[in-house]
Amino acid sequence: MSLYEIRDMAIQIDGKRLVEGVNISVEAGKCTAIIGASGSGKSLSCLTPFGLTPGEALGSIKLDGIELIGADAHQMHKARSRLTGFVFQQPLTALTPHLTIGAQLQEAAAQAGPSRLSRHELVQKLERVGLSRADERLDQFPHRLSGGERQRVMIAAAIAHRPKLLIADEPTSALDASLRGEIMALLDELRAEQGLAMLLVSHDLASVEGHSDDLIVMDQGRVVESGSTADIIANPQEDYTKRLMAATPRLTEPAPDLPAVGNMLMETEAVTVIFPRPGWRRGKIEAVVDASLTLSEGEAVAIVGGSGSGKSTLGRAIAGIGPLTSGTINWQGEVLPERRARSLAMRRLIQPVFQDPVASLDPQWRVSDIVAEPLKNLRPDLLRADRDGMVEKALDDVGLGAEYLERVPTSLSGGQAQRVAIARAIIAGPQLLVLDEATSALDPLVGSSILQLLAQLQRANGLTIIFITHDIASARRLCHRIVVLDEGRIVEMGDMAAVIEHPNADTTKRLIAAS
Amino acid sequence: MSGQKPHPSPSGEGPGVGQSKTVSHSPTPTPPLKGRGYSKHWPLWVVLVLIALALVLPALLPWTYDQIDWDAVRAPAFSGSHIFGTDEIGRDRLARLAAGTRVTLMVAIAAALVSLVVGIAWGATAGWVGGKVDEAMMRFVDALYALPFMFIVILLMVIFGRSILLVFVGIGLVEWLTMARVVRGQVMALKERPFILAAEAAGTPPLTIILKHVLPNIAGVALAYLMLTVPQVVMVESFLSFLGLGVQEPLTSLGILVKEGADDMDMTPLGLLLPGGLLVLLLVCLTIEGERLRDIYS
Repeated sequence: MSLYEIRDMAIQIDGKRLVEGVNISVEAGKCTAIIGASGSGKSLSCLTPFGLTPGEALGSIKLDGIELIGADAHQMHKARSRLTGFVFQQPLTALTPHLTIGAQLQEAAAQAGPSRLSRHELVQKLERVGLSRADERLDQFPHRLSGGERQRVMIAAAIAHRPKLLIADEPTSALDASLRGEIMALLDELRAEQGLAMLLVSHDLASVEGHSDDLIVMDQGRVVESGSTADIIANPQEDYTKRLMAATPRLTEPAPDLPAVGNMLMETEAVTVIFPRPGWRRGKIEAVVDASLTLSEGEAVAIVGGSGSGKSTLGRAIAGIGPLTSGTINWQGEVLPERRARSLAMRRLIQPVFQDPVASLDPQWRVSDIVAEPLKNLRPDLLRADRDGMVEKALDDVGLGAEYLERVPTSLSGGQAQRVAIARAIIAGPQLLVLDEATSALDPLVGSSILQLLAQLQRANGLTIIFITHDIASARRLCHRIVVLDEGRIVEMGDMAAVIEHPNADTTKRLIAAS
Repeated sequence: MSGQKPHPSPSGEGPGVGQSKTVSHSPTPTPPLKGRGYSKHWPLWVVLVLIALALVLPALLPWTYDQIDWDAVRAPAFSGSHIFGTDEIGRDRLARLAAGTRVTLMVAIAAALVSLVVGIAWGATAGWVGGKVDEAMMRFVDALYALPFMFIVILLMVIFGRSILLVFVGIGLVEWLTMARVVRGQVMALKERPFILAAEAAGTPPLTIILKHVLPNIAGVALAYLMLTVPQVVMVESFLSFLGLGVQEPLTSLGILVKEGADDMDMTPLGLLLPGGLLVLLLVCLTIEGERLRDIYS
């Protein structure tokens, strides 16, 4: 019998059924993964059996022989605290800020019994999850640790009381791409070593592949497909799974057919961006150092790197919406000055699209005003009627009908909001789009449709694109060339296919491994 | 910089399958007040009813606030046409309460509005320009904070004599400081938001960005702090009046009424209890409502 077995579970909140007909079984030492878009009910299915959501679970849920449905408070507490460990998505908020790492671990371990662990044992636990200088870490507060380190502490705390089941709810989604592989490898290792059963939740097929034995695909509160991970990936049965597979960019898929590249369009020479260090300490942060790159007409260049590598800062400097300390940006022989000095004609050339689609639209404005904003400033020659016509056409170009004109951003889904942001970017007829992680915050299916839209616009309008991302696989669907940044410096640059095949820099290798 | 979706925490609410089609976004803007029951906002209704009474009553009552009824000095409640009786020189208590509430609220609202305008202008400029300008402007605010406010007001009164205008100046001097700090923080947070950057890329001039993008998005927070400023000003005004530095007799305010009542409380406790109770009720209701607004917006 499986360690953790869910039979025919339904979940309702306030009498509304949100999840139905879910069967999950996890055996000791094995990993079952649940994937699905946001709102598919995957997290709900994982957390509700333990009373961690407002929902109510119906059906049968057995953990180590204990029936959780209808269990009394004592049994429930035992199931939650002794038998189960939890790792959540946000390592930054999941640790209590005013407790030292040692205190957090001690608290977690106390779930198993009243005996306190010695300092030596705590050090061992931190070392087990691959944290360096463990002894020193015990006395530090969570804010001193980086995201990856905090997630390691979370994992150490989750397994400190030797649970039998580990529930990992998107454990790597908030982490830097190059760290994801390491954290997943650590979880695999611990699972094998301690015979843990693991339930892994993810929105991303690529991140569970190779780490889970069984796979459950959920959509809109229902299980679409379940079975062994290898089988499903090799031979998906259901339409939804097939679409999800197709939407997940892979490095192994055939190279895309990209449009031809024209003459030189833009060239940056030794672009450097330096920020003063915040607070009382004197000093500077070198966000981008000596970045020189070229861009031709109709070309798409990927700027990739981990978080804090300066890729967004470089993109913003080019787009004229961020500071530029030194260096020049040449646009067909003309120098583009820094931020506030740019003329309207220069603004018209380059338009940005941002990562968080909802935050990039003013919540107080209507879609029609948002899309028309660049036209009002950059094309003052247009009459109002022409402008309205162009707004409708731009929305049509990004696949949204006229019924969206009167909507407000809060009533749009992430994908729709990103389409509106793209419509705003293309309406004034720019030559270069700077896409800053434009697909990273979206679900795989939505993200891939946005990528498709971009590829279509690239072809139809002869757009040049700078595609800033941490995900090489999705960049490959759109880009001719790749520029790899690490700590503000360009460490590798070249043809997309060539770099993927023979990466030189360590950063590139890590990013490729994570894709 | 990586993608962070809203996500359930161990203690928080779970993801709603129905609602999460729309990507929700937490900071600042636009959670509407509508859709809540009126009963939840009872403090607001209490304040509105009190204001309405203060405005309407003087027209209905047979006595004005400074009229002396020589036949009924220190009359008890419900004697003749004096519902709450009269004070020690025979003025109708209800009429004086209505007039006092009017003056107090007028001073409070006017001073709060002044603080709103000055605070937003100062804070938005500092937050938007940033750097050395911001540093200088905010240090100035800190310096004003550090001044012993009561001392200054008393000095002003002594030098220039008592007048309601000076009460305004004195109160306005301090109340905009908090508003400026709050607004500056909000503007700084908004400044790096993608939609502001997108407006910049769209060629929108800075002043238009501030007026059309920044201010509408901090309106909620500013409103909340405005609501909280009103009771503070009521307090300050009453305190000044209690010390005899506020409004000039025979014009009255809640603070003066409390003082008069306190002087005479062994004879007629009603004279203290009525304005005191009214003051407490006003302060509590305004503060509850203001803090509720602030919690919604921040």
